[in-house]
Amino acid sequence: MTTVSNPVDDFTKRFMGDPPPQPGVKLTEQQLRARRARSIAIALALGAFVIVIFLVTIVRLGGNVLTRPM
Amino acid sequence: MSLTVARVEPSIAGVGDYIELMKPRVMSLVVFTALVGLLVAPGHVHPVIGMTALLCIAVGAGAAGALNMAYDADIDVLMTRTAGRPIPRGRITAGEAAGFGMTLAAFSVVTLGLLVNVVAAAMLGFTILFYVVIYTMWLKRSTPQNIVIGGAAGALPPMIGWAAATGSIAIEPVLLFLIIFFWTPPHFWALSLYRTDDYARAGVPMLPVVAGDRETRRQILIYTLLLAPLGVTPWLLGYTGPIYGVAAAVVGAIMIALAFRVRAERGGYVASKQMFAFSILYLFLLFAMLLVDRMSGLVFGHIAL
Repeated sequence: MTTVSNPVDDFTKRFMGDPPPQPGVKLTEQQLRARRARSIAIALALGAFVIVIFLVTIVRLGGNVLTRPM
Repeated sequence: MSLTVARVEPSIAGVGDYIELMKPRVMSLVVFTALVGLLVAPGHVHPVIGMTALLCIAVGAGAAGALNMAYDADIDVLMTRTAGRPIPRGRITAGEAAGFGMTLAAFSVVTLGLLVNVVAAAMLGFTILFYVVIYTMWLKRSTPQNIVIGGAAGALPPMIGWAAATGSIAIEPVLLFLIIFFWTPPHFWALSLYRTDDYARAGVPMLPVVAGDRETRRQILIYTLLLAPLGVTPWLLGYTGPIYGVAAAVVGAIMIALAFRVRAERGGYVASKQMFAFSILYLFLLFAMLLVDRMSGLVFGHIAL
């Protein structure tokens, strides 16, 4: 069985050394927990906002909510 | 040319830090006074509309608190009373607080305008702007009259509540505004008397820092002598019944007695601490009595019908 080398990998290893580590920031356990809590709070706030808009729409329109042009 | 890029650490701020940024204790007083303004207004407000208005006012007050903390982060770190706030503790950056505050301010004003009415929304927007720009950015660091003029921002919520219910302004909510307006100086000066070092260290020209202890005690007495009769005015003008009138006269008399004790006190802060604590109770009782008076009027009104 023959192994075919990848010319791009060969070039990288020869002229640029080992590939760089994966970019990005590694979050600590505390940072992950805090981010999750903030995300949940934003989701709840948005949910509450949708409910408020819905309720006020119903109150403002009253019985007319069922009146639609055919 | 080299370019330096600051590395920003991912945030560890929790939900509690953001709630703290909204000054929940101040917010509770704002919501309570706005609720009273809303309920004593003539006519009927649908509970959903009323709750929406209160929610918007609460969020607007929180936005103003967050913007205040964002701007004052440099002096908050110097004062014992404020050093534990989220920005001085390094939990939230001033930029994050400013972004949070501006988002909430925009949401609260627009939502109040679209769902309740434009008059209330305009007043809420003005209140936030007044508190952040006029008081926090300008007056607080430049004049000992900072909390006198700036107190207008804290006095507006009952007017916003009234406007949310009626879509307009009348003399009754203006009286409520004046009561809180004249209540603010004795309340804050009683506190600043025993926090003078804090304010001096931060370079905030509060009255005791600039004019001294004795002058502050004199001013507390003057403002309290104006406040107590003003508290009874809604009854004298016939807007409330005797329940409110008697209660306002009693708590007003206690405020005056405490202000005299503050004036007479030398080399101690027992009376000023009592005055500060009672002033909160005073405002709460006054507004609670307005509600009781209004509710009892409704009940008797129904019986008469």
